Amino acid sequence: MVKKSVSTLPGDLINKEVSRRDFLKTSALIGCGALVASQLDFARGLIARVEAGELTHAEAYELLKAENTLYTVCLNCNTGCGIKVKILDGVAVKIDGNPYNPWTLNPHLPMSEELTKAVKVDGAICPKGQAGHQEAYDPYRVRKVLKRAGKRGEGKWVSVPFTQAISEIVGGGLLFKDVPGEETRQVTGLKEIYVLKDAKVYEDMAKDVAALRKLKKPEEKTKAVADFKTKYAADLDKLIDPEHPDFGPKNNQFVYMWGRKKGGRSDFSKRFYETFGTVNGHGHTTVCQGSLYFASKALSEQYVGNTFKDGQKFYWQADQENAEYILFVGANLFDANYGPSNRTPRITQRLVDGTLKIDVVDPRFSKLASKANRWLPVKPGADAALAMGMVRWIMENKRFDAKYLSNANKAAATADKETTWCNASWLVKLDKDGKPGALLRAHEIGLKDKETRKDKDGKEFEFEYLVAMKDGQPVAFEPDDEKEAVKGELFVTAELKDKEGKPIPVKSSLQLLLETSQEKTIAQYAEICGLEEQVITDVAKEFTSHGKKACVDMHRGPAQHTNGFYNITSLMYLNLLVGNFDWKGGMMAFSAYNTDGTKTDKQPFNMKKLSPKAGKPFGLSIIRHDAKYEESTIFADYPAKRNWWPLSSDVYEEIIPSCADAYPYSIKALFSYMGAPTYALPAGQTNIEALANLERIPLYFTSDIVIGSTSMYADYIFPDLHYLERWEFHGSHPNMPIKVQPIRQPVIAAPVQLVKVFGEEQPISYETVWLALAEQLGLPGFGPNGFGEGQPLGRPDDLYIRMVANIATDGKEPVPDASQAEIDLFMKSRQHLPKSVFDAERWQKIAGAVWPKVVYVLNRGGRFDTQEQGWKDDHVANKYGKYINLYEEKTYKCKDAFTGKHFHGIARYVPICNTLGEEPKAFSNGYDLQMITQRDVRMTKSRTIASQYLTDSMPENSVIIHTSDAGRLGLKTGDQVRISSATNPKGEWNLLNGNKKAMAGKVQVTETIRPGIITFTIGHGHWATGANDVTIDGKVIKGDPRRAAGFNANAAMWIDPHLKNTCMIDKVGGSVSFYDTKVKLERV
Amino acid sequence: MQKDILLTMQEDLERALLKPAEKRRWAMLIDLRKCVGCHACTIGCVSENKLPPKMAYRPVYEYEQGAYPKISRTFLPRPCMQCDNPPCVKACPVKGPQGATWKETMGDAAGVVRINYAKCIGCGQCVPACPYQARALDEGHFHTEGTPELMKYESMPSFEYFQKNQRIGKNQPVGNARKCHFCVHRLAVGQLPMCITTCIGRAGYFGDENDQESLIAQVKKGAKIQILKKGAGTKPRVYYIANEKLEVLYG
Repeated sequence: MVKKSVSTLPGDLINKEVSRRDFLKTSALIGCGALVASQLDFARGLIARVEAGELTHAEAYELLKAENTLYTVCLNCNTGCGIKVKILDGVAVKIDGNPYNPWTLNPHLPMSEELTKAVKVDGAICPKGQAGHQEAYDPYRVRKVLKRAGKRGEGKWVSVPFTQAISEIVGGGLLFKDVPGEETRQVTGLKEIYVLKDAKVYEDMAKDVAALRKLKKPEEKTKAVADFKTKYAADLDKLIDPEHPDFGPKNNQFVYMWGRKKGGRSDFSKRFYETFGTVNGHGHTTVCQGSLYFASKALSEQYVGNTFKDGQKFYWQADQENAEYILFVGANLFDANYGPSNRTPRITQRLVDGTLKIDVVDPRFSKLASKANRWLPVKPGADAALAMGMVRWIMENKRFDAKYLSNANKAAATADKETTWCNASWLVKLDKDGKPGALLRAHEIGLKDKETRKDKDGKEFEFEYLVAMKDGQPVAFEPDDEKEAVKGELFVTAELKDKEGKPIPVKSSLQLLLETSQEKTIAQYAEICGLEEQVITDVAKEFTSHGKKACVDMHRGPAQHTNGFYNITSLMYLNLLVGNFDWKGGMMAFSAYNTDGTKTDKQPFNMKKLSPKAGKPFGLSIIRHDAKYEESTIFADYPAKRNWWPLSSDVYEEIIPSCADAYPYSIKALFSYMGAPTYALPAGQTNIEALANLERIPLYFTSDIVIGSTSMYADYIFPDLHYLERWEFHGSHPNMPIKVQPIRQPVIAAPVQLVKVFGEEQPISYETVWLALAEQLGLPGFGPNGFGEGQPLGRPDDLYIRMVANIATDGKEPVPDASQAEIDLFMKSRQHLPKSVFDAERWQKIAGAVWPKVVYVLNRGGRFDTQEQGWKDDHVANKYGKYINLYEEKTYKCKDAFTGKHFHGIARYVPICNTLGEEPKAFSNGYDLQMITQRDVRMTKSRTIASQYLTDSMPENSVIIHTSDAGRLGLKTGDQVRISSATNPKGEWNLLNGNKKAMAGKVQVTETIRPGIITFTIGHGHWATGANDVTIDGKVIKGDPRRAAGFNANAAMWIDPHLKNTCMIDKVGGSVSFYDTKVKLERV
Repeated sequence: MQKDILLTMQEDLERALLKPAEKRRWAMLIDLRKCVGCHACTIGCVSENKLPPKMAYRPVYEYEQGAYPKISRTFLPRPCMQCDNPPCVKACPVKGPQGATWKETMGDAAGVVRINYAKCIGCGQCVPACPYQARALDEGHFHTEGTPELMKYESMPSFEYFQKNQRIGKNQPVGNARKCHFCVHRLAVGQLPMCITTCIGRAGYFGDENDQESLIAQVKKGAKIQILKKGAGTKPRVYYIANEKLEVLYG
């Protein structure tokens, strides 16, 4: 709430009147030129009024000029709304929505609309987007390279020349000899670990390591290691550990991690680290909604030959514009979830009209729940119980789409106008205990032999047919067969015989799902999830009363638990049961215009062909993703020291603690970009402790726009550009029905230092760091001939203009050429940008013939299909169009690295557990409240605290608690309390060097939360990012207390008792546990 | 395919601007059933009008009613009501046709309660006079105050009341009373008020309610309309649609 103040201070009374003469003078300078063509009639009316003596200053509204307007993409959260930035004297003064971009106007303006018309239309964006320029103009921006001059995290820095920092990182040495205690600490530079460079050796070693991993017997493995050492005797010094060739080359000892990064910047870094030869480039997915991504990946694994692969790291969301019913689970799209400006206008009127009904599953009465038909205040972490209760009711009441589910292959699906199909009818083999294992192959029962086939590159592979039951007889089929339709029986329990006549008991996938759902009664499920049985059946009935126009749309809520993977999969079963994928009003996948030039032959820059031919990195990653414990050379017994991740990647919580544990190996250098794991991860303080470990993380550098809550622990901070100053290709989200590619481009100049890399002057940026490292290391693929003879990659836009050209020329038809008037406007609207940022001549040279198309796209902030192109007949136009797993063979074949047990091929409700599979009962003793978290639309985790418009609107967050709990604890709104847990009994952040920050905040008592649960919004309680004092070059820079206000209670979240330096985790899907911790509140 | 109502309302606006001022009646309508409490209107307005810290022309208040699990949440944006009977104008000591604040009858701003920053003496008497707390005094603070540097974007001009105000030092509107003005500087060029244009729930309507073709007139006609503090006799030009009785939440 905004408090208004009254003051009696008289204003400045002198000479403030604008005379008529002044007005006319002003309007002559900045007047009618501001008016766009469509307003001419209106302008004539104005002139008439001026002549009539009715003065107006309308013409002076300088924010309505096409030449003062640039279109780009917001990044104050990952929604990536298109924005229209209004610029005066080179300063971004106002941000609104880009009307060409479907995130901010629904439907949006077609690209064919004139720029002069669009300038008048402002799209709608959220408050974070409105406040974005305040973070560009943050007085706490880092402008020069900072080098640590005290202990890590002590806040003492010196500014150093850019080239010095790069030389030190590459060359190593006694880099911190001036820091007490580090006088003799020798730092290994990147050049000492960029050692394996021979592409052929990479390829050979990778092949041998892959073969070695597949050996089951220990003695075979030992022998293979010995053979490996003999074969590669000349190169053993380039390996991390010759006794463990599966660790890969020393190059892997360079670890690069990122938080928020989109297309373009990801291409830039990938080009570097893949050429450098490290497998250690890891993103942050699991801190957001990893188990949603990786459960969907498992659902989308495709049957290739005889195994499952090529699953997409993605997920589906509802077609909100056409669905009749949506069950939102742990999704609060008015505050987050890709996101407010985009998803809200697609449903608010429909909710009022009653053409869309929604129910909301959330322990909080969220803003979304406040507009819902029903609120289901589920117990956190029990989402799968709700889902399986619904599954059971739907199955037993035959409310599923049997026609959809019985399609065993593509041909059958196509005949039913379905674009997706699943394995509901496929047969699964049972073990001696009747437990499901692998899918039955046709050759196993002598039904149809294996075949040797060739893939599109001519490589041979084995193909095995699968089996469904039809009229009581097994039939062999191929999942992707487009000709011979096979429909299978849905409920099969049978005993087939192998070639020798031995029995093979089988069940169909759907039968297994039915039986799994029947392991508990609906009443038991209701008890587990804390809802009424009647509510579960009512919702199941409602969900199955709208044909394909009903969706279960989920987000972080069910995902960020130790059972996240199974929660998500259980919820996705509901979508499978009605077969709503790709249907209008059903679940959709995202679709984006291609940037790397590999889609059509009209695209001028195929990046695959323009990349250096370096060896493909190999070896275990520091987070052990895409790898099985059992196949490694360090397999001993269960439990493993840390988890292995055969089904997930970008496991954020693993990166820094794994470095600290040197598991599976020790690293030499860490580079982090736009991420604050210390602040954002549950139990983030474990990452602070790990980053302070000079032995295990000997060199740590980062690229950041401020001294952030993680970058403050770095050895070097390279200044980066704010999102208004730089490039990216934001891509899309699954709630966006149309094909798009929003482009982030520089609209203002950056305040950072200019440097020269490869002879090119540029503001220091993330890309500049990679370029300079490449220059010093002599990495191929960068520099004057980076893209081929005479084709330089010496600055960010060398890559990005090529990507824009690819976007402009993707699809059936390229975009039209910009007219000369549009090109003129393009130039005029960028005249405030320095040559180091905008150089039309050079850009035109890069783009070549497609330059006018590049201008056309940049003038509109990206490429967007029209709204009409989103649907075709009863389907969405941009389809997933593939097979979906109900039973997951690949998941089943992976084992839990702590217990050695198989993962479940059919998801189900499993309780919250630590890595050893124990329910955390001891942790709960004495801690009576379960803590969850939430987003407020005004805050993103780390960056929005720098915006005073936002902190002014929301100066602090609070401990949100139910009236009954507050009453029991004697608390009232406004009381200050400390939050503690079994793994953080003091309730504080240990920021090191004697700095501690209490986890304490104000209580807010409400009826809008399930009793027994507390929550808080993320984004407040900073200890860096301008919140604290720092010393640079001996000068103290005072922090801004507004940024330290409120609290972040992540440090109370449980630390896994076995891992000891990491939060609790979902062992299958990778998610961190955000919502499982029990805490207590004490008044302070 | 239906248009975004933002475009429909812009077309309504263009039509209305061609009419003589006295034939036109600017009004705002907020459908609280569609307000999702995002505060985009508040911040969009702060940025557009270069408001100082702790000042908002259009705050959004939140109310909660009922007991778990039968509860409701209401988000109530509260701009200046542009009253036809404005108590703030009566409270202002700088009276007359050249006064500091008045209900405009002419030009693009007709119907809006205006402030002339050049005439306002900053006495603050209008502030408590408003029953909706829609007015505040600009005390001359800046958002980047107390940080290492006052940033330039804060002193770039705003365009309130068709003037180019460079708010720096003690320049106007520092020291003046300030309030929502329906963004008349945007209306005049055929753009919607900032709060309406950046409403992600499309809860806000704006236009000439005398124009029966206009969206606002049609929405108003088809719904039960509420106004705030009816008893105050202020005759507001801001209307609400809500499931709740607003008199109960904000009487």
